[in-house]
Amino acid sequence: MLDPTIILQILWTSLATASYYVLFAVAFALVLKVTRLFNFAQAAIMTIAFYAAFVAVQWLAWPAWAAFAAMTATTLTASFALERIGFEALRKRGVSVMFVFVFTFMVSEFVDYLAMLIFGTWPQTIFPTMFWPVTLVGNIAVSAWDLPAVGATIGALALLFAFMRFSRVGQFMTGVADNPDLAELYGISKRRIFLVTMLIAGAFSGLGMFLYGTRAQVLPQTELSLMLFAVAATIIGGIGNVAGAAVAAVILGVIQNASILVISSEWQGFLLYIFLFLAIIFFPNGLRLPQRRRFVTTAREVPVEQGAPAAESKA
Amino acid sequence: MSEVSRASRRCFFAAAVGFAAAVGIAGPASAQDAFKFGLAMPLTGSQALYGQDQVKAAEWAVSEINAKGGINGKKLEMIVLDTQADPQLGIQMTNRLVSVEKVPVFITAWSSVVKAVAPIANDNKVVELSIGASSPDVAKLGDYVYTTFPLADIDITAVAKYAATVIGKKKAAVIYINNETGIVPAEVYQKVFKAAGGQIVAVETYDPKATDFTGLLLKVRAANPDIIHLQGLVADIPQVIAQMRQLGLTQPVTSYSAAFNPKLIQQLGAAAEGVIATSLAPGPEDSEKVKDYVARWQKDVGREPNGLPYTEYLYDAPYLVAAVLKALDDKKEPASGENFRKEMLAMHSFALPITGKTTLNEDHTVVKPVYLMEVKGGKWTRRAVIGE
Repeated sequence: MLDPTIILQILWTSLATASYYVLFAVAFALVLKVTRLFNFAQAAIMTIAFYAAFVAVQWLAWPAWAAFAAMTATTLTASFALERIGFEALRKRGVSVMFVFVFTFMVSEFVDYLAMLIFGTWPQTIFPTMFWPVTLVGNIAVSAWDLPAVGATIGALALLFAFMRFSRVGQFMTGVADNPDLAELYGISKRRIFLVTMLIAGAFSGLGMFLYGTRAQVLPQTELSLMLFAVAATIIGGIGNVAGAAVAAVILGVIQNASILVISSEWQGFLLYIFLFLAIIFFPNGLRLPQRRRFVTTAREVPVEQGAPAAESKA
Repeated sequence: MSEVSRASRRCFFAAAVGFAAAVGIAGPASAQDAFKFGLAMPLTGSQALYGQDQVKAAEWAVSEINAKGGINGKKLEMIVLDTQADPQLGIQMTNRLVSVEKVPVFITAWSSVVKAVAPIANDNKVVELSIGASSPDVAKLGDYVYTTFPLADIDITAVAKYAATVIGKKKAAVIYINNETGIVPAEVYQKVFKAAGGQIVAVETYDPKATDFTGLLLKVRAANPDIIHLQGLVADIPQVIAQMRQLGLTQPVTSYSAAFNPKLIQQLGAAAEGVIATSLAPGPEDSEKVKDYVARWQKDVGREPNGLPYTEYLYDAPYLVAAVLKALDDKKEPASGENFRKEMLAMHSFALPITGKTTLNEDHTVVKPVYLMEVKGGKWTRRAVIGE
């Protein structure tokens, strides 16, 4: 079983399938970082994204690019509505974090149920076929899905990095994440930044579901279980650390798949819960690499609220 | 305190009298012009898509029976109640069927409901006919719970024996989902395949939430089996087969009724070729009656029924109920649950219009033919019928 071909095959497939997990984890971690919300309504956005693409391809017979555009537009609209009608209204009423948390669960259950009523309980894929041809690279099977999925994910991450680093709105997002009230004193509109964050998270969730739904079948309840992986990656990657969540998603995916080399396959799914348990008990702030000097300096200069990443960094 | 008690008693008495008058508790069905039986299915909720079609099939059968004179001139009346496939609601509806409608027999489906209402059937000595739940546990739910739908071990036994003896494969690998759908049937397959002279070279399982199967498939590939049996769910079977083929596992694949659907071919294309699945009910190509039945769906409803095999069993169920009730009526015996059970077991074999001969065993299992279907030339074709 410890054949190099087998190990390389598992590594490659794990990396390829980590693509959608990374997107889900980044979406979840970004919202948590900027808005401080454990947004389980992301599952609802993912459900809407999948069925929008499904309807466009299978009911309306639109080409893939048009379906992707329709899916993105629908997802962004749903994210906009969630932020403006849901979260903003709750913030104005000053409700507790726990109440918002319950609200996000309720939204995701509501959308699940609605999807079940409309689309039934039969599992669906975006395209009628889910079989992707394979090319052998050495002895490693690389499917026609793998490279576009990995490429799309890397592209999305690069865009997000550039946006956060170089655009003013991106920098404002970092400012709001560090201290929303202080950011507002400097003239940054929290309201606008929260909306932008939700839209970016929606776009990432949509892209992730498009990749997932072209490779595997989806039921209305699928998204909530995919979310669990995103939550685990966010906690292990360090709450508030978007890049950490992305890296954790890849590592978790690889470990979970590669674990079959040493443990029985029936324990593979259980591993995720072990990671979650250990992370919550022993590493509530995530597994962190030593902080870079520049980041620490920022943390000292800007007072932050509890739970924000800078407050947890060790000088 | 005593005033309150008296008032409560008066209220209770008045309510009881009103209730009895409202529902017309005048005795069991045998004393009237119609024979009643119950049908508790999901008419709303997530499973309604299937439940409604199954009810429609049963309604057609009841209409036909009544159009042909009913049961010795008496009408067959089906009381339909909604369970939403929810055990709690199933219990409420069954209580109503047993206590208010006083039916001697009721039909229900969805394993969680079938199991939840079994104690009510046993305690009240009313026959519960399960139609659709395939877990072998259904045979162990008590004296008054029977199934007309074959339990999982029948088709798995047939396919395992067929793989070892007819196809002549000697080394099998078993891949199954780690829940009640997979565990027991996977054990049955291994036992039967070994008993038929084969060898099990790999047994791998996966989590119901798994989205990638590379690791376990590579382990199976390393074991080099001649045939692979896959016991999963509709949601994961196509993906496991797709990945199997992508990773170079070209061995024949057998599965069970969950794999037998046209979508599998659509989703896998050429990768579906050679997949063998079971069907527990005949298809349109197997019988003229099924062909006519499907044509009736197209004509009356404008589409094929959701879950065709299940609707076939539901269509047949009132015929079985009517046959037993007729036998009781011929003997002038009251249509009580106890008598229904006794007569049903005495008759034990029924020639049903669509699914054919049905034999109910004392051990609460049922004997039905197993249809082995194979994907050939991009469509499901019949490969063999076992136990016809």
